[in-house]
Amino acid sequence: MDLILEYQDQLLSGTWVTIKLALLSLLFAVFFGLIGAWAKLSKNIVAQKIAAAYTAIVRGVPDLVLILLVFFGGQELANSIGTLTGLWEYAEISQFAAGVGTIGVVFGGYMTETFRGAILAIPKGQIEAGVACGMSRITIFRRVIWPQMVVYALPGFSNNWLVQIKSTALVSVIGLQDVVYNGFVAGRSTRQLFTFMFAVLMIYLVLTAISDSGLRWLDKKYSKGIVRSDDG
Amino acid sequence: MSEAAGDHAALEVVDLHKSFGEVEVIRGVSMSAHKGDVISILGASGSGKSTFLRCINLLEIPTSGDVFVAGEKIRMMTNSRGRYQPEDIHQVERLRARLGMVFQSFNLWSHMTVIENVIEAPVHVLKIPKAEAVEQAEALLQKVGILERKDYYPAQLSGGQQQRVAIARGLAMNPEVMLFDEPTSALDPELVGEVLKVMRDLADEGRTMLVVTHEMGFARDVSSEVVFLHEGKVEEQGEPRQMFTDPNSDRFRQFLSRTMQ
Repeated sequence: MDLILEYQDQLLSGTWVTIKLALLSLLFAVFFGLIGAWAKLSKNIVAQKIAAAYTAIVRGVPDLVLILLVFFGGQELANSIGTLTGLWEYAEISQFAAGVGTIGVVFGGYMTETFRGAILAIPKGQIEAGVACGMSRITIFRRVIWPQMVVYALPGFSNNWLVQIKSTALVSVIGLQDVVYNGFVAGRSTRQLFTFMFAVLMIYLVLTAISDSGLRWLDKKYSKGIVRSDDG
Repeated sequence: MSEAAGDHAALEVVDLHKSFGEVEVIRGVSMSAHKGDVISILGASGSGKSTFLRCINLLEIPTSGDVFVAGEKIRMMTNSRGRYQPEDIHQVERLRARLGMVFQSFNLWSHMTVIENVIEAPVHVLKIPKAEAVEQAEALLQKVGILERKDYYPAQLSGGQQQRVAIARGLAMNPEVMLFDEPTSALDPELVGEVLKVMRDLADEGRTMLVVTHEMGFARDVSSEVVFLHEGKVEEQGEPRQMFTDPNSDRFRQFLSRTMQ
């Protein structure tokens, strides 16, 4: 325990990086998920095809491969573009940006499917009722689709989010000093890997427990009037 | 804005056509409703009566034809692919807000209570202050006899109750015309009466209504005019008593004998 207190700064700063990474990439994931769901449900065939390719790729490739590809491959790409155009000599992709970007894009693919299913679960007639009242598309989205979509999406969303928090651990392979990286470094230098990895485990459990209660609160807030089969 | 010049029909439809792919469902239907008219639109299933109603507020985009709401024409254009479409979606939205619509399957917003359903469009489309909208909504809910359930969610109500709320929701926009798309067809038989009664009351107070229905009693006793559609065309139209006692068209006669048994 003393050992952990000695390294608490590293652990806490690592935890903070993990939280920032998870929340920021969630923001991206929701953003890409909404766009993806919109594209999949739109009548525009090009948009449909792009969205289908997007989800096929991110769901079919390990996150780790994508992270390495974006971080190292992206770096090379940025540099060769710089050399070719002569616009910059050396560009560096930050580990944090690469992590947020990749995890955001990957989980955006999962969110796309979750949101698409949720939008389809809303009875079409309710959207028509909004149209018939003279609502604009934005008003219909904001007032009719969104509040119900949240409810239908929540179970899938919760699942995605918990997996996503855990996926942030992958960024330690590109040297980002998240809680796993810092815990591992501390564990190795003190030869107390078990102690430190156990501490990291507890930190993840706390993070997921907090998320869980947050998601429950969201579910309560939004599920008014929605009859579920388990309500009896 | 809502004060139309007196000589305009509340609603006028001119030579409306609608095709789904190769199939022409509406083949040139014209109709006009003046203030206080209650027009029942009858027809066998597949006659195009619901599609016709849905073309009026552009839930379906007609293939050609014009719609005038209180004298104002919904501006349409033909796009580069030769498709007929509204020229200005904002105009369409503004005019839709002046046409109340009641659907067969009620289509109440399930995440909102009864009162929230009724004030939703007045507050978010017409931008009426909420307190005013609530006051008006309560009066309407009183009128359709469901005020005591104003804080219930739709799923907690019977079909008849939901449809009465849907009627109040339509009325809350203070529309020129109320469009009813088979409002009682999804109801259990014992619940039809309460909805028809509300519609009868609306007719009595001079509301302009277009009603697509299978309720022959309502068409005969309440409406001021009956239009019988057959294969996307007006087969016969006129004053209900005359039409029901002495129809001109054989098809309407057959339709009557089949439905009035």
